[in-house]
Order: sequence, then structure tokens, then C-alpha cells
Amino acid sequence: MVQRTAQYERAVHRYELNAAVRRSIIGGLDLPVDPDLVDDDQPLFGRGLELDSLDTLEIVSLMEEDFGVYITDEQRFVFGSVNKLVDFAEASQPALDGA
Amino acid sequence: MVEEKIVADQSSARPVALITGASRGIGQSSAVAMAEAGFDIVGFSQSGDSGNSETCRLVNLAGGAYVTHKVNVAVESDVRSAFRSLLTANGRRLHAVVVSAGITSDGLAATMSADRFDSVIAVNLRGTFLVCREAIKAMRKTGGAIVLLSSTSGVSGQAGQVNYSASKGGVNAMTQALAKEVAGLGIRVNAVAPGFTETDMFRRMDVKARNGLIQHIPLQRVAKPEEVARAVRFLATEESSYITGQILPVDGGLTA
Repeated sequence: MVQRTAQYERAVHRYELNAAVRRSIIGGLDLPVDPDLVDDDQPLFGRGLELDSLDTLEIVSLMEEDFGVYITDEQRFVFGSVNKLVDFAEASQPALDGA
Repeated sequence: MVEEKIVADQSSARPVALITGASRGIGQSSAVAMAEAGFDIVGFSQSGDSGNSETCRLVNLAGGAYVTHKVNVAVESDVRSAFRSLLTANGRRLHAVVVSAGITSDGLAATMSADRFDSVIAVNLRGTFLVCREAIKAMRKTGGAIVLLSSTSGVSGQAGQVNYSASKGGVNAMTQALAKEVAGLGIRVNAVAPGFTETDMFRRMDVKARNGLIQHIPLQRVAKPEEVARAVRFLATEESSYITGQILPVDGGLTA
């Protein structure tokens, strides 16, 4: 029972963190998209949200300012999707809360 | 380790300039010149000069507020922490960044240790990059001006200064590359390349060597730090709004 509660809380926390990252990116880039309609596995670049290289700077800056997560070229894989960004954010800062 | 000391009122609407190496020399003179132009100053220095420092006193006299952070610009975590705290502490827009922190450690190439070479590159080149990287992020939405301190040694090279000359040559190339990379964000990047200047670095040279060098300067004297600072101020303000990617010699005609 305790384990299920912990799992539930973990799922809620993850859901809120994903939503916070989506809001941060969509708002920061001023994209005409509802953050709640962005699929967490949707590619951020190329097809998907169709972001370009200048948007990389904005996302890197937003992740640092809003979540305290620092991204460099070595972590380029994180731009694959919102889920990959949040995976990396949680791994680098385990105490992250849904900002 | 970063330490912040608020030494003046930060609630004002004056524009803000960040200056590294602000505790002395050209960095200190640049802080004063920018304060005279109406800026408040955030100073990065390795010593973390206090509210009683000469830089603070001079900036306050010129009408500017002064905040100082203890930062070793060669240490990535120092630079990141300092930027984070200065951006969150007052939420004010950063208008200009002057990267003045620099060191020399001269010697003949044949006997120069790798550590000595690396130590100069670490502060002068890596440190400049680290500060620029954070500055771009801070100014990405508002635009601004970045001024890097180069040297005539970065243009023509000086015997006994392979490390310093290489670092400043790198700063020159960085100026041009970065200017092209961030022009679209409204950020201008330029460098000032002083020749011989009355700083601690120059005063450490022996008198005979100094006099010998002066004979090669068309204006027959070394620069005062404030003369270099005026060029910094020009490139850091809207006075130079259509100039980017340039290296401006302030050398009494040495490289003419």
C-alpha cells in the first residue's frame, strides 16, 4: 500500500514536471500552441515543434532559469522530446519540483 | 566559491554593466568610465573586492552603484553561480559586459612549463569564453554589448609571451566568431587591443625594458588606463551601435 502511494506521488510529480517544462518552452518561445496538446514524446526539432537552432539557446536558457538544469553540447540528446528533457532534469537534479 | 556583497542601492533604473577584473587596472578604469556614462556596475574579481574597495569608491564617486562578486573566471561553476545570483538578485536587464580579467606569466617558450602556458590560457581565453557564454544567455532577449579586452600582443605576438599572445590572439578570433553568431540577437561583440598601459602588469617590467619599449611607440608614451577605458565605453554603449566584430587598437600608433 505504501509502495503504491509512493508510485502514485511519483507519477503525479512527473506529470506536473512535464507540464511545467511544456509551459516554459511554449511560453518562452512564444509558440502558437496549447502546451497541453504537445505530446511528451514529440520531437522538439525538425518535424514535431519545428524549432530551429536559435531556439536551442532559448530552451537551454529557460531550463537553467526555470529549473536550474544546465545543458551543454554533451547533452544534445535531451532535445529529442519533453520526456527526454525531463529525464535529464530529474537525473541531474533529483530534488526537482514541478516549478 | 562565490560571495556576493551588496554595497549600494540596486533599486535604480540605471542601465547595468558587468565588468570582470574590476578590482584594478583597465577593469577598474572601465568600471569608472561606465559609471560616468550612467551605468551601475556589477564587478567580478578574484579578490572579491569589498564595499571599501577603491573600485567601489570610484564608481560611487562617478554616480554609480557597485555590486561585487568573488569569481575566478576560469572556473565554470564560479561563473555560472555568479551570473545566476546577479540575475535573480535584482532582475535588472544587463546592458553591457566588459571582459577585462587577465593575467600574464611570461617566459621563454623553450623553458615554459605546460602548467604556466595553461594557466594564462585558462584565465584569458577559457575565462572569456565562460563569461561570454553566460552573457549571451542573459542578453538573448534584450540585446546588448560585449567588449573583450585583447592586446596588441594578440595581433603581432611578443617574444617571451607565447602564452599571453596566444590567449589574446584567441580572444580576437573569438570576438569575430561570436559577433557573427549573436548579431541576430541584437548583441554586439567587439574587442579593445591596448598596447602598453600603466597597469600593474606594465610596472612589473624592469625600467630599462619599459624605456626600450616606449621608443617604439609613435606617441612616445604608454597609455593611461582611463584612455583605454574610454574606448571600452565607446564599444559598450550605443555610441557604437553599428559596430560589431571589430578589434580596436588603443596603442599610441604601435601597430599602425
